[in-house]
Amino acid sequence: MSETEYLIAAMTVMAISTYLTRLTPFIIFSSGKEGSKLNFVVKNTPPMVMTILVFYMLKEVDYLSTEIFYTLFALAVTVGLQVLKRNALLSIVSGTIVYMFFVQM
Amino acid sequence: MIRNALKTSLPILFGFVPLGIAFGLLFQELNYPWYFASLMGVIVYAGAAQFMAIGLLAAGAGLVEIAMSTFLLNSRHMFYGLAFLESFGNWNLRKLYMIFGLTDETYALMTSINVPGGFNKKKYFFFITLFAQSYWVLGCTIGALSSEILSFNTNGMEFAATALFVVLLIEQWIMVKRLLPFVVGFIASFIALMLFIDHMLLVAIIISIGSILLFRLLNKTHYE
Repeated sequence: MSETEYLIAAMTVMAISTYLTRLTPFIIFSSGKEGSKLNFVVKNTPPMVMTILVFYMLKEVDYLSTEIFYTLFALAVTVGLQVLKRNALLSIVSGTIVYMFFVQM
Repeated sequence: MIRNALKTSLPILFGFVPLGIAFGLLFQELNYPWYFASLMGVIVYAGAAQFMAIGLLAAGAGLVEIAMSTFLLNSRHMFYGLAFLESFGNWNLRKLYMIFGLTDETYALMTSINVPGGFNKKKYFFFITLFAQSYWVLGCTIGALSSEILSFNTNGMEFAATALFVVLLIEQWIMVKRLLPFVVGFIASFIALMLFIDHMLLVAIIISIGSILLFRLLNKTHYE
């Protein structure tokens, strides 16, 4: 197998694996008549996952260095703007610029 | 509608382009032509898995190993589809594509917005999915080409993804206004971080969904 063939084969199995994970719930619950238990889980999953994703993104932060301070500051800017203005783009861009400023300082 | 969906999808642009650039830059170290980075964004379209693949490809890992690692890493996506069992509609090519495009970011965005009245929800979600993938492919491509064209210091730009999830978390709170799922998510994150930091995301999702199901089963009378 040449280098390029290897890469293409690897990308193909990755594409299939990834698609299978995303397709699974639609196959399992394709009957369309889900119980109230599943509905309860479905309703609560987005807020749970969002909470988890935020912690996931922050798990690499070094709590013993200055990184924690500017990370918290950039988070405060993002949260503050979002609560006040409800403009997702503004909050994300502002928080990121603040963070980049400190990282590159 | 397309313009409105484009505007709604823009927060993902700021998450995906920097992340895609980072991927493209790393991918270039494998010494493949740049367009393979773009191709991977088109046919695989999975952020974390693509980063992991760089290491596996560099080590010349076997195809079975690559398939298994990708499957395990992405298995959290199995829970994402649950939110769209109905809203993706009947089986057709569009639905197959929306399922293909269900990433952390599109899931997060599409569960946090109210589709403006008068718009067809399925089409609206389809365009958000399409735009989001375009941003990802764009980022991968810029990154892979960047040794020639990029001189901008992107250090710290990865914070955009964190900021996106924080913003969507606030939007979830405004929509849901019940403490329970947030507390469950918080405790599950904490446990997963303490015990399985390397697989934190999947472990936390499994713990939280298990807990919420248990909660529902224990409070049966209250909900039936």
